[in-house]
Amino acid sequence: MTELKIGQEVEMEYGGTAVVEKIIGSGGQGVVYLVEYNGMKWALKWYDINKIKDPAEFKNNIKRNITDGAPSNKFLWPRYMTKDAPDGTFGYLMELKPDSFDSFVDILNTYKLVVDPLTGRAHKEVVRFTDLHAMVTAVINIVNAFRQLHRVGKSYQDLNDGGFFINVDTGAVLVCDCDNIAPDGSNFGIGGKPGYMAPEIVRGIAKPDVQTDKYSLAVVLFKLLFRGDPMEGEKVVKDVCLTEASELRHYGAEALFVYDPDDASNRPVRGIHDNVIRFWRMYPDYIKDAFIQSFTAGLHDPNKRVIENEWQQLFIRLRSEIISCPCGRTNFTSMFEMQDPSTYRCPKCGMTFATLEFSNRDHLMPLYIGSKFYECEVYDDSDDFLSVAGELVENKLKPGVLGLKNCSERPWKVKMPDGGIYDVAPGKGCPIWQGLEINFGTVTAKLG
Amino acid sequence: MSKNKKAKNNAVQAVPAETETQTAAVNTQPADDLDMFDFDDDPLGATGVSRKSLVIFFLIDTSGSMRGTKMGELNTVMEELIPEIRRVGEADTEVKVAVLTFSTDVKWMYAEPIAIEDFEWARLNASGVTSMGEAFKELSARMSRNSFLNSPSLSFAPVIFLMTDGYPSDDYKEGLAALANNSWYKFGLKAALGIGNEANDDMLAEFTGSKDTVVHAYTGNQLAQMIKIVAVTASQIGSKSMTLADQNEAELSDEDVYAAKQKMLGQQIQELVKQNDSEDVSFDTGW
Repeated sequence: MTELKIGQEVEMEYGGTAVVEKIIGSGGQGVVYLVEYNGMKWALKWYDINKIKDPAEFKNNIKRNITDGAPSNKFLWPRYMTKDAPDGTFGYLMELKPDSFDSFVDILNTYKLVVDPLTGRAHKEVVRFTDLHAMVTAVINIVNAFRQLHRVGKSYQDLNDGGFFINVDTGAVLVCDCDNIAPDGSNFGIGGKPGYMAPEIVRGIAKPDVQTDKYSLAVVLFKLLFRGDPMEGEKVVKDVCLTEASELRHYGAEALFVYDPDDASNRPVRGIHDNVIRFWRMYPDYIKDAFIQSFTAGLHDPNKRVIENEWQQLFIRLRSEIISCPCGRTNFTSMFEMQDPSTYRCPKCGMTFATLEFSNRDHLMPLYIGSKFYECEVYDDSDDFLSVAGELVENKLKPGVLGLKNCSERPWKVKMPDGGIYDVAPGKGCPIWQGLEINFGTVTAKLG
Repeated sequence: MSKNKKAKNNAVQAVPAETETQTAAVNTQPADDLDMFDFDDDPLGATGVSRKSLVIFFLIDTSGSMRGTKMGELNTVMEELIPEIRRVGEADTEVKVAVLTFSTDVKWMYAEPIAIEDFEWARLNASGVTSMGEAFKELSARMSRNSFLNSPSLSFAPVIFLMTDGYPSDDYKEGLAALANNSWYKFGLKAALGIGNEANDDMLAEFTGSKDTVVHAYTGNQLAQMIKIVAVTASQIGSKSMTLADQNEAELSDEDVYAAKQKMLGQQIQELVKQNDSEDVSFDTGW
């Protein structure tokens, strides 16, 4: 028996029963049900043990993960095992994804299907990031989740677009399908999802591990930013029909990045890969270079793949280089003009943006109402990329006067026009002026 | 720089309706002013990722002998099946459905394959004889880059599912010969369901290329189960890329993976059929 019935009771390992309410989804290894357990709703993943190579070993691994706990709150981690059914089938409970999160698949499709429970008819609802800031934050969150996982010595193994839920308003990320996560070096049978698998797995000469995760992570990031497949270009499309043999070639030994600088034979095709063509030219070189690195040198040499911390730094930088112009245009500084070495200019409306120059980096941060910097950017001892340290705001009592608000919990030292150095306490702010200098402790910033 | 962008943006505007609605929401300027936006590429203004395409062909016997319970059961299960296979494509594959019926005449339910999300089952009626050979020829003619398989992007090999309750009343060998020359058929995932005592599994295996992908139903309950097993399994396998032989230690070659999906389909169908056999009719799986 592999399927559960509505209303069926499933006995839990440490007592009590979970009652099946409905099917939420199904995957390669089993079905996910909505259940009630101890007065709360949970998701129950129930396995088709015929599709698992060694069920006992697989189950032990999940139990070990339950004991170890999640690497962070970004994971919808296994929480409780069920008892084995008479035929050996088993499952585990995990928390439900909150409604405010959409699946990565729906984000890639740009819509989700909402089914009317009465008629069974489906209609499409747009799924799209509310703003660019949320999208880049989502990228940072994804990268950080895998950094945390790899730091505890585990690999995800089956990294693909079905593995994430994202809040498109905030960029918050939840990693799901954590049941194949295993100590690095162990593999309990999963190969991964084609298109996301590292070429060496496709070719059959390696098993999933932390290094292959890094390849899959680069694919996920590429898909999120450029909305296309990094290996699908002219060379692949020529095949018309994707047979097993052509996939083995194009995603294995003969995989070729669409923007490989040394080989133009697999470039994206207009009319099919328009997203990739369009977005590739928008991103700054340091982002493109990291993908080129991952998908050329790192394609067949796992040690050359971009590591999570590097991605994290690159995307924290990218987030600080977003400009939201009052004319409605939001883009990266790479898509704005430079009026002078320290001022950006909107090519659409002519609005100019002063910049902050930080002592710990050589790129400028553009200033506009709502622009923010984060704790990790100004405090050397902080890794916190979600807590805002400072924000450009308009003074509530003096409309039109702009200043930087100290949103952190540490005082800043600020140079004022009279030449004096003043403390700006948490919650307070200071006007911006040509010559402004802020000392955050070890890091300083001045208005460019 | 701006000249370059202008050229590119013109091309971008030629893409699907979803973009148009999105830009329309942001941009309320008259069309004449569009040029001033040509630098204004929104990093969030993506269209859906380019998906691979999969067409699922259902070849359904609507001859007179199908009338009654068989047709009733078939119509019901097909209506229920469509929502179930809606999500199998996920973000990678756009799944389309085409239904070819054959009795005295050979007829497509719709003039072209329809995206699974928009597909509505039109209930079928049964009458006439079993022109299966004609159906094979019609299928072969439509399984072409110039006809039903005309997606500009990549396609997976199609899924072809044949359901019949009888022996062909025409020369099915001639139809099979036409199919044998069609490479979509050659690489396609083929399965067949024989219904009742008259259907000939050997003949169906000639169509699918192996006995593993032929199943048989003798009761209405079995019919519903088999259709579901075969259609769901085939569309799951068909809409995904190759999965590995996980015991493999050496580099895979073209030969290792040749017809890997068809073999996997055969295995999975046989496993599922066995499970259902052992549980008999007392097991109510919610039909």
